[in-house]
Amino acid sequence: MIRRAQPWLGTLVEISVRDDARSGDERGDHIGAAINAAFAAIALVHRRMSFHAPDSDVSAINRLAIGDSVVVDAATAEVLRCAGMLEDVSAGIFNLACGQRLAAWGYLPQPAAAGQTAPALMLASTYAPHQPLPRAVIALDAHDRVSRCGAGWIDLGGIAKGYAVDRAVAALQAHSVANGCVNAGGDLRAFGQHGFTVSVRNPLDPTRVGRTLDVRNQALATSACYFSRRDIDGVAHSALLNGTDGLPIVVDTSVSVQAPSCMLADGLTKIVMATGDPRHALLAQFAATAFIL
Amino acid sequence: MTIGRHPAAALLALGAPALVGTVLATAAAPAFAIQYLNVEQAQHTLYPDANRFQDASLQLNTEQMRQVEKLSSLPARSVGWRIFAAYKDNQLLGHVILDDVIGKVELISYAVAVAPGGAVQQIEIMAYRESHGFEIRNAAWRRQFAGKNAQAGLKVGDGIANISGATLSCTHVTDGVRRIAAIAQVALKA
Repeated sequence: MIRRAQPWLGTLVEISVRDDARSGDERGDHIGAAINAAFAAIALVHRRMSFHAPDSDVSAINRLAIGDSVVVDAATAEVLRCAGMLEDVSAGIFNLACGQRLAAWGYLPQPAAAGQTAPALMLASTYAPHQPLPRAVIALDAHDRVSRCGAGWIDLGGIAKGYAVDRAVAALQAHSVANGCVNAGGDLRAFGQHGFTVSVRNPLDPTRVGRTLDVRNQALATSACYFSRRDIDGVAHSALLNGTDGLPIVVDTSVSVQAPSCMLADGLTKIVMATGDPRHALLAQFAATAFIL
Repeated sequence: MTIGRHPAAALLALGAPALVGTVLATAAAPAFAIQYLNVEQAQHTLYPDANRFQDASLQLNTEQMRQVEKLSSLPARSVGWRIFAAYKDNQLLGHVILDDVIGKVELISYAVAVAPGGAVQQIEIMAYRESHGFEIRNAAWRRQFAGKNAQAGLKVGDGIANISGATLSCTHVTDGVRRIAAIAQVALKA
């Protein structure tokens, strides 16, 4: 087994490869090249979908005035389509326009730091806390052109890590790697005939194991607030929020979702967390299952 | 929906003084630990074309420390830095700078490749250990790992499970890399 890790997407991304088909130096060189390609795929997601970087697609979208548009990378468009679909099917529980709220709570940088310009700054004062987040603030056409329809900064933090994992898996497979696992800060996907042992953190004591399972040809994503929980004016907050009431989700549990793709697993954890329902009807629709610890 | 302070955190805070005596006993077995690369592997991963690595460790002087703090907006922290120059024959390809950072529950060793012009080229995590808050804040616990990633002294790696959970921020690594980029500008730039 060869394992490497690099910092991307605000967390550590780990790639594990088990490839018994080759031997010696040839094997090492080949796997090294495959892992480099997988990290390059993750780096692209990092650059295009960062809320922080002024030159990302997300920042370009957040600078748009209502009625203006911008063409984004095909990868960003794919994530926006999936996020829009999840927003629709969850009736707004999953919500793209969570950027303002997370910035106000200090989980994302303030707009000036993110390189926002005047029109976007004006959007910041358009709604008060504790209201549903606005829906469908952007529209996307078939040529990956994003138009702004309503006020609200988008943030892809709830789904882009999962997408990055899927892209990295595709890169490894394109390099003929038969067996591997990509883990972006807890959102992971394993492929190949050998399963990978995964320890899910105990939400009440996150440096200990809560549950161990074998993940094979599947993605597993987990969401919880034990690392992000903080008090603001005496009220507990977290980096997770429910789009239908605009409030932070603060619970002592963690939600894990197993799904065919890591992007779906990542996005679905937020819906299960907001509803507290590990048998939510949407799970079956996406061939996913969930458990709560 | 407002729920108060994490009950486990409160217990931990209360329990910490009583548990100090057990820190050394449990120190050799961090909750999660993995070694990805030793120093030699990190060198070759960052500079696969290099055929020679030369020790280029340096001590920053007061003026250099001041410049590093100004460039990075971070405390310079350390005077001494462990650095290797990567050469292909007599051509300098860049430098490998080693560092450790401590987070809320994690201790991370990593290596940064810096081009001769001072640009950060690649970052590789060498080792990751995680433990309870009271251990990670304990200097004796951290000392057990000091320099261990240099050789095969830390018996972690194969067979260690992947971890799934809420995302742990790597802000400390990001800050560390910013500091290293400043050191490269101040002390290594060709």
